[in-house]
Order: sequence, then C-alpha cells, then structure tokens
Amino acid sequence: MRMTKIVSDMLIVAWIKSYPDFRRNPLTILLLATIGAIPLFFMLIFSGGGLLVHGLIGALLSSVAFVAVLSGVQDISWDRYVKIREMIVAMPVHPASYALGVALAPLLLSIPSLVFFGAVIASLGALTVTTTLWTILAIVLVWASMSAIGFTISTYLSKVSMMVLNNVSTLLGFAFVFVPPVFYPETILGNLSWISVLIPTSNAAGLVRSYMGLLPLSTETIIIRWLILVATTVAFVVLTSVKARWRET
Amino acid sequence: MAEAVKSNGVVKVYRSRETVEALKGVDVTVGKGELFTLLGPNGAGKTTFLRIIATQLMPTKGDAYVLGYNVVKEAQEMREHIAVVPQDAATYYNFTPWEYAYYFARLRGMSASDARQMSEKALKAVDLWELRNRMCSALSGGEKKRAIIASALSSNAEVLMLDEPTSGLDAVARRGVWSTLRDLVNEGKTILLTTHMMEEAEIVSDRLAVINKGNIIAEGRLEEIKALTPEKYRVVVEGKFDRLSDFGEVAKLGDRYIVYLKTQEEALELLKTTLKMNLRAEASPITLEDVFVKLVGGVNHEND
Repeated sequence: MRMTKIVSDMLIVAWIKSYPDFRRNPLTILLLATIGAIPLFFMLIFSGGGLLVHGLIGALLSSVAFVAVLSGVQDISWDRYVKIREMIVAMPVHPASYALGVALAPLLLSIPSLVFFGAVIASLGALTVTTTLWTILAIVLVWASMSAIGFTISTYLSKVSMMVLNNVSTLLGFAFVFVPPVFYPETILGNLSWISVLIPTSNAAGLVRSYMGLLPLSTETIIIRWLILVATTVAFVVLTSVKARWRET
Repeated sequence: MAEAVKSNGVVKVYRSRETVEALKGVDVTVGKGELFTLLGPNGAGKTTFLRIIATQLMPTKGDAYVLGYNVVKEAQEMREHIAVVPQDAATYYNFTPWEYAYYFARLRGMSASDARQMSEKALKAVDLWELRNRMCSALSGGEKKRAIIASALSSNAEVLMLDEPTSGLDAVARRGVWSTLRDLVNEGKTILLTTHMMEEAEIVSDRLAVINKGNIIAEGRLEEIKALTPEKYRVVVEGKFDRLSDFGEVAKLGDRYIVYLKTQEEALELLKTTLKMNLRAEASPITLEDVFVKLVGGVNHEND
C-alpha cells in the first residue's frame, strides 16, 4: 500500500474521531481543559502561586495524557462494539492508518488546551524557543506512550465488557495524571523521586521542568530520561503488536 | 455465469475453553451479478462464513476466493472490491448519515468529488437523502441501519456482503432495504446476504443456500430448494382432528396443525373433510419456511 494512502487514511480516521466532537460537542474540549485546570486551581490557592508553573506544566501534559489513554482504550473498544472496526478491516485501509488515526484524534482534541496552557506559561516568561521545542517533544512522547498503554490494555482485555474497560481507562487516566509528580515537583517525593522516571507522564514533566530551570538534572540524567520515555513507548507498542490481530484468527 | 465468490471446504474451528467447529467444510459458489442468500438458524455458521469471505476472520482450513482473489493470501487487493455491513452494526451517535457515506468512501481512496457523488447516490438509494445531516442519535433504528448500509453502498464495491441487514427493522423499512438490494443487483452488483428470515430469503434471493450446524444442506434457486421435499402443499388446520396423519405428514403447533401434502387433490380432499367437521382450515403451496424446517430437522411431528 502506498505511503500517501496510509497517511491520508490516518488523517481521515483522526478526523472522523475528533471532528464530530469539535463541531457538535465542544464541551469535550472544555472538559479536557478542566482536567488540567482543576488541580491547577487548588495548587494556586494552597501554594499561593509558588507552584504555578509546576502546575501549568502538569496541566499541559495532563490534557494530552488523560485523553490519550482513554482514547486508546475506549475508542478501540467502542469501535469493536459498534462493528466499525470490522467494516474498516474489510476495507483497503492499513492497520497502521487506523491505529495512528485513533491515537491522533485525542491529540487534535487537546490542541485548544495545549495552546491555552502553553500561552499562559509563555506569558509568565517560562518558555524560550529551545524550551518550547523540548516541551513539544515531551508532549508528543507522552501522547505516544499513553496511547500505546491504552492500546495495550484494549488489546489484552478485548474480552472484558466495555463498561469495565471505560472505568479502568478513566481510573488509569486519573492515576497517570494526578498521582505521580506531574502537577507537583518530584523533589517532594524525596528518596522515592526515582519512581517518577518510570511513569511517562511524570518523567516528561520532570524533563520539561529541567529545561525550564525548575529541576536541576545532569545531561546524562536528561538523556537517560528521554531514552526511558522512548523505551516505554516502544515497549508498549511491541507489547500491543505481539497480541493485536487486524484480522481475527 | 462467472463466479464472484467461491469457497472450497472452508472449515472454521474456534478454540477457547471448548472447541467449536463452526464450519465443517463449506462449499459455496456465488455468480457475478447475483443476490445469494445464506439462510440458516441462529448459530448455524452464517456470520462466521461471511466474516471469512470478508477477510475479517481467518479460516482454519479450506480455500475461498472473491473475484478470483484468495481471501487469505490476497486480502489487501480483494478489499478494494468489497464492502461489508456486519451483523448488529451500530452508529456513532454524533455522526450523520452523510458523514458515514462520505468518510467511508474517502477511506476507500476516492477523491472528495467522487466521494460526494457516491455518497449522494448511496443516501438516495436508501432513502436517507433528506435526513443526511441529522445526527444518528436522532434517527430511528431503521434509519440508523440504512445509514450503515449507505456507507457500504458509497464504496461502489462490486461485491456487497450484508450480515442480517434487516434484523430489527419494521416491515416498511425492511421492504425499503430489499428494494435497494434488488436495484443494486440490477445494476450488476453481487450481493452475499445472510438471514434467518424466510420471507426475506424468498423475496430477494436469486439463489440461496441453507446452512445448518456448519454444513451446507441445500443450495440452488428457490424452486430447486422447494423441490427438495416431495410435499408441495400445506393445509393449516385449527381444532381437534384425530385422523390428520392419515392425510400426510403433520407438524403440531399448539392447537394448530400443518399438514404437508403431495398433490392439490390431496389438499382439496383434506379441506373438504375439515369443512364438513366445521373446522377452520387454509391451504396454500408449501413455503420456504416449511422446507427449511424440514431440512434442518425442526418439524415437531404430531407423533413425537
């Protein structure tokens, strides 16, 4: 199959998965922004503004991470339920187009939140051109890793009911975004701060903080953390591809 | 007639906690430009067969070809020429029929203008053009089903595979779908349809096959299938009549009896007798359902 067809199909699937929400259910966009805004609101009150940029970094990453893991689980299981996936399997569509399209949709839905929180961070003077580029890379890797985790769950739990999967994915979304140091600095964890490296959301948050001068990390540590972020994504992609079958056996 | 679909000894075994042989060597041939119906009771293997032919499911054994393409080895090439409506397919609630038809056409590689043209044609064919911009959540069950069928029609595929497309539809909506299917066949499309509804199979099919417990037990034109039983007439009798089995084979349905008879004279004789006994009776030619029930062994004999 031609690469141009694979890419254009991916964009069509992403459009199918995001456009109706943009057009007919814009509250979804607001809801995504709220996921980041609510903890930010409390941080602002309780820290007196001292942790504002930390919170904004959390808001930025959470608006992608939360919806990416949800989408990876819920969109796939919903498509299975309504048989859209079966229809697409029988079409001249490459499985990669479908998977990447489903993954891309939450990123599109997150754009308004990303722009909003990014603009607030920029207005506080915490972003330079270099920092912006590293932050974008961190966002992309958080999106990729969380989508991959979502796909892994929906692939390995394909026999589980959709209601259970929806709850599992929502709980996971909250767990990945609110429990580890995404909104707050990992130094608060003291000796346990290494845990944040293992979780894609907090690992990315730590990297962004280091580029913004909020977390002192050595060059070696930064490189290792990037590699761990990439490795986590690759591991979950591999885990999914081992089990996933486009055509059922 | 050239072949659109051909299967040779297709076997499907599902292995989970228990092993289930869903298809036990299915041989089917569907001609180009023909509406072929796979008729069978629930769990007979209809959907499994259709999903194998539609490249959604791997067969365990056997070969199958659609337009000459091997469904296992040449699935990617074959998918350019087919469109599928799965059983119990549902709609995205916030999608419109237009979006279903248009985006599915685009996914097939059609240009925007071709997709628009085909979507309009498909939506008009299923009588949804006026409702094309209404959200699926606001459509009736039948309209939703037709929106999904439109997404298959907009593909302009040569072979359409529809798995119980009218299940859950009311009589009017069902006839609308049948009319569309016959129009498509007259345009030269090949349609492989599965159903457990006798009336549907009888009205829309050019040819049909009866599948039961994973085996094809009959295949041919409607009259050929009907000819598989020696009885040509049925008389439905209401009320108590002890000597019914003297006339022919009897199926008991509660307080009613269906008597199967070989000739018109035998049917008339039974009618006269029942009228003399002041019983209500009605005679008609044997139906596909009668033949089907006999073939799958579901007749509840009076003597049983």
